[in-house]
Amino acid sequence: MIHEDYYNGLNRLLEGIFILICKFDFCSRNAYNVTYMLQLTEDSFEQSLQYFRNSSAMNLTDVTFIDPYGMVGLLEIELLRKDGIQKTLNLPASDEVLKYLERMDFFEFTDKYFKLEPSRPLLSEKYLRSCYSDVLLEITAIEKSDDIHFIVGRVKERAYSILAKNLHYDETTIDGFIVALSELCQNIVEHSDNRGFVGIQKYYFNNLSKNVVKIAVMDLGIGFRKSLSERFPLRGDLDAIEMALFYGASRYSDEGRGHGLPAVKRFVHQWDGKLSIRSGAARLSIIPGWARGKEKETNLFPFPGAQINIMLPEM
Amino acid sequence: MVGYNLYRLLKEELKNGSNDLVTRQTGQIIRDRIERDIAKESDRMVIAIDFSEIGVIDYSCSDEIIAKLMSRLLSGEYGDKYIVLTALNENQKENIEVALERKDLAVIAEMRENGKILVGRLNNYLVETLDLIFQKGSITASELSDALKLPANTSGTRLLNLHKKRLAKRVSERRSDGTVWVYSSLTDMFVSEDSELGVMSSG
Repeated sequence: MIHEDYYNGLNRLLEGIFILICKFDFCSRNAYNVTYMLQLTEDSFEQSLQYFRNSSAMNLTDVTFIDPYGMVGLLEIELLRKDGIQKTLNLPASDEVLKYLERMDFFEFTDKYFKLEPSRPLLSEKYLRSCYSDVLLEITAIEKSDDIHFIVGRVKERAYSILAKNLHYDETTIDGFIVALSELCQNIVEHSDNRGFVGIQKYYFNNLSKNVVKIAVMDLGIGFRKSLSERFPLRGDLDAIEMALFYGASRYSDEGRGHGLPAVKRFVHQWDGKLSIRSGAARLSIIPGWARGKEKETNLFPFPGAQINIMLPEM
Repeated sequence: MVGYNLYRLLKEELKNGSNDLVTRQTGQIIRDRIERDIAKESDRMVIAIDFSEIGVIDYSCSDEIIAKLMSRLLSGEYGDKYIVLTALNENQKENIEVALERKDLAVIAEMRENGKILVGRLNNYLVETLDLIFQKGSITASELSDALKLPANTSGTRLLNLHKKRLAKRVSERRSDGTVWVYSSLTDMFVSEDSELGVMSSG
């Protein structure tokens, strides 16, 4: 199983920073950089963005851990390209990571965006489904309202086995979780001209001795700043995220708008979770006692849309 | 009172098998359908929107369906009609409440458990008056004045405000001492003799 605990020691050692080794391919007319990454998560997203965005290849050969944020991040980075040229994606050498990518339906989206090297692995569906029962939602595209009905339906099917059993959520809390998820996904439908992605996975954190559910939602829409700038004077991306998250600011003047994100924040806070929203060149995080990270980050590598990460621990 | 089964409407309008009221677009579709149906109802009809077979309702749908219906009901768009909610669970109530509070609206609801409550925002003095209407079933300004020791014009204003917020029915009645306005509960069908309104309000 690709459990977080397996990598805790490694994660601490790396402190969220990936290892980059530049190699030069002398067989090629144009030498290119090959990036060697060990993990693909929110912590390594900034580096992934900088190195993968304009490179001709994404080398994941050495990746030993990838979470939903890492997966949807890769898809979004590639989706941003408008040149129509398929980038080469060097698949992880680890069988476990490959199985997990397959289980998360990552390969359902790769054919359109990537040339896989080696080609897509052939793995038994039955084996995969039984092996990774901690998946609450595979990587799922969001383009329209019906997609959200599908997502909500799928999460409800698995809510008992994951949210009730592992996070000890009762029925009301599960409903709250589903509503929060719906609101997050709706931002994509409402604000993005492009497709977004969502994925959810349960992990066991050894250092906390707790189960933790990770939710990643991303889109390449107009982002918070552009969305709000017509109605509010803003100092930057961070200001825009704060306005939406803390004050329910919306691009629409209707008072009924803007409930979603503050409600998500309330839910995450109530259940001692971690929430981070990255948009443009800023990230705002709400960090509980058990987690680490910076609350406010600016001057990040600019990236359109919004990238949201939520971690909810068991009660 | 006429019941609108939300699940049936969802099934007929969306055709995707979902029993969840999620997304603003879904809310718009369901509200449009409810508005078309309300237009066919006679005046003074109480429309009971039934949540019994509904799973979750998110904030966007709560705003798009319930808050907008109540807002338009109050502005007179649907004529002299009333709306109540039935068979709400706790989570549905909370999400609807957020949507109503933002727009300073309130609606009477019957919970799946714990009886009827007021969901949304209403001044405390109006809650007190509404509670009395629920206890008595119906009341006049004069009876309210006697019960709460209020000046006659204050009682009349309170009752009229509840009627304007579509939280109490108003009918004229001829009595020995003349014609009076009688204000009555919208939810006679699920009001027990000794029940009181479980108030969820803010002043």
